[in-house]
Amino acid sequence: MSLRTHRPVLRRALVALAALPLLATAACGGSGTEDGASGEQATCEKSDGKVKLTYWSWIPGVEKAVAEWNRQNPDIQVTVKSTPAGNAGTYQNMSNALKAGNAPDLGQIEYDSLASFRLQEGLTDIASCAGVKEAEGDFADWTWSQVTFGAGGEDGVWAVPQDTGPMALFYRKDLFEKHGISVPKTWEEYHEAAKKLKKADPKAYMTHFSQTDPNWFSGMLWQKGANMFAQEGDAWKVDVDSPAAGEVADYWQKMIDEKLVATDLQGFSPALYKAWNNGEVATWVSAAWGYSTIRDNAKATAGKWAVAPMPQWSAGENKAGNWGGSTTAVLGKSEHPYEAAQFALWLNTDAKALEILNREGGLYPAATAGLRLEALQQPVDFYDGQKIFDVFAQASGNVTTDWTFGPTMTDTYRFMGDGIAGALGGKGTLKDALAQTDAKTVDSLEKQSLEVAK
Amino acid sequence: MTADPIAATAAPPTPPAPARKPPRRGRNWAPLFFLLPFFVPFVLFTLVPVGYALYQSLLRTERTGGTFGRKTTVFAGLDQYKEVLGDSEFLGSVGRVLVFGLVQIPVMLLLALVLALLLDSTVARLKRFFRIAYFVPYGIPGVIAALMWAFLYDPRLSPIVELLDKAGSAPDFLGSSMMLWSIGNIVTWTYTGYNMLIIYAALQAVPSDIYEAARMDGASEAAIAWRIKVPILRPALVLTGVFSIIGTLQLFTEPQVLRSISTSVTSTYTPNLAAYSLASANNYSEAAAMSVTLALATFVLSFGFLKLTGRKAES
Repeated sequence: MSLRTHRPVLRRALVALAALPLLATAACGGSGTEDGASGEQATCEKSDGKVKLTYWSWIPGVEKAVAEWNRQNPDIQVTVKSTPAGNAGTYQNMSNALKAGNAPDLGQIEYDSLASFRLQEGLTDIASCAGVKEAEGDFADWTWSQVTFGAGGEDGVWAVPQDTGPMALFYRKDLFEKHGISVPKTWEEYHEAAKKLKKADPKAYMTHFSQTDPNWFSGMLWQKGANMFAQEGDAWKVDVDSPAAGEVADYWQKMIDEKLVATDLQGFSPALYKAWNNGEVATWVSAAWGYSTIRDNAKATAGKWAVAPMPQWSAGENKAGNWGGSTTAVLGKSEHPYEAAQFALWLNTDAKALEILNREGGLYPAATAGLRLEALQQPVDFYDGQKIFDVFAQASGNVTTDWTFGPTMTDTYRFMGDGIAGALGGKGTLKDALAQTDAKTVDSLEKQSLEVAK
Repeated sequence: MTADPIAATAAPPTPPAPARKPPRRGRNWAPLFFLLPFFVPFVLFTLVPVGYALYQSLLRTERTGGTFGRKTTVFAGLDQYKEVLGDSEFLGSVGRVLVFGLVQIPVMLLLALVLALLLDSTVARLKRFFRIAYFVPYGIPGVIAALMWAFLYDPRLSPIVELLDKAGSAPDFLGSSMMLWSIGNIVTWTYTGYNMLIIYAALQAVPSDIYEAARMDGASEAAIAWRIKVPILRPALVLTGVFSIIGTLQLFTEPQVLRSISTSVTSTYTPNLAAYSLASANNYSEAAAMSVTLALATFVLSFGFLKLTGRKAES
């Protein structure tokens, strides 16, 4: 052991050698982009003989629905792989697999990521597959508009809608009653209610505002009709800091400035669950799937929550935003688009499949027939026997159809998250966050060589 | 150049270095064969990815027709590098980790040195226990450690914050002015034991007759530590210093984990986080350019540090 006797040259060589692998990990941060994932396909024909399909999904219990399909269709056998949620790594894996040419035939993709995958030429247009175009009427209008990119099928059908996240207001019925607060019907009333709550209990917050959920904020913009993106001819229009979006930003900025919302509680965090349990946070504007988030993480408050429609920007309106929800997409290099499309349609429209997905995975179906599922008509114990899904069924019909997600949504959410973090940390406002997100998104689209309408 | 037979030092992750020159006479392939287990993975998992990243960083995406278009990849020269070097957020993140390194590395290495000297001193008891105890944090996966500290920093969950609050006022560990040092604390906690072990191992190599001679001359333990041990430890300190510089520029796990509970960490907080964010948005070429730039910066800093310490040693 004689480091000290090393000649500097050898020592340097040694250190350099030791450093190389570390550097390599830095250098290979981005893996390659091979072109050629074919995004187009002309015909959709049945394959001969027995077909084997692979499918990636993160719905709990989806394998039970797949088993049912496999039982009914001995010639089209589907193997499902249970993956982490899309943004928790699965999208990255899908992108890599698409480039490597070994992607699954089918994958679960959320609405906000569909455009990104189409941009990567990772989706197959299944418009010409039997039964696909005819299925339009089976789904909530806005979901069909998402999978056809607003072109009603003229520009292809790129996935089959699966579940949705129409938004409503979860609120602590007991706290509202205790402090004499009535259920707010407009955002104005929501602000008043927040002030009243603060006055009655200085430690309480109306809700939490999290920088880790930029897609929640986009749900707010959705309700307002503040469309962040639009397609204009061959160009993308980026309108993140529109006047309508500015109104939403100003509203929440006011809530933050008046300390009516908790700014140090991140979505789906143990700290938030603790705050729910001890009554520190009184409401959550959230999606249909949120009912189980509260039920499973705020057990101490069983029977104390209720659900009401989302507050409105003008009295008398009935508009709802959407937060989350997925599709089943046939991925770019599938050799069996026909069979894959048949499976995707069955999985998301068949009564039995919908029943299994709702029971096992808690999915709130995109298929309109799914809203009549027996389970969605029942009173829910945790919500003191309220038939909460009636509220969401109504909301589902009130989600506006002309919302468009951008093709580099990962970036857009990231910029928005950074901007919101700044506003919550006292650096800038939510309006600044919108302006910043707008400018950087334009930059991000241009880096992908997409045309941006000025 | 003398072929030093003991090339593999106490540093655990040092790859087996080619310690001996092959004999000149005839062609003897045997050494090459024995080197294969090192060189095959080295080429496959280090050189090839580096080369691929370099290649990637010279490309650009182009599209034709429609809002989605058909994608082609074209050669773009150094365009991506221009983009990276003109990115104020990236430059800001580099500045941030440099400030971090200037403070955290000396603190950590000093701590490691003191611990190693204490363990090596004649008065130390339970040496084996403490050696392991100091090293344990390094054995805990980075994400787990960061999550654990995240709980300890979170004002609503942390017993530490609660105690500090009761005692007076607790600092906002997750606030923007504290965040860098909260991360520094996690890094120090994790790596001090590891660096201590390298230094301690180097100390074991010192023949004890030197100390005996010093004692005969009437040197105190403190004088032995400061006048004899520390100068001997110089190469080990340089080595740990270089490792720490590399690690600092690569900072990723801790900020990534804390990002989910604090408003002070943006998606471009450290250079590696910035490159990761770009790659997640499928902007591979710019992410590659950023990674290569970062790798170059690491090279420059590491070798600059070696040069600096080498010159001092000679003077």
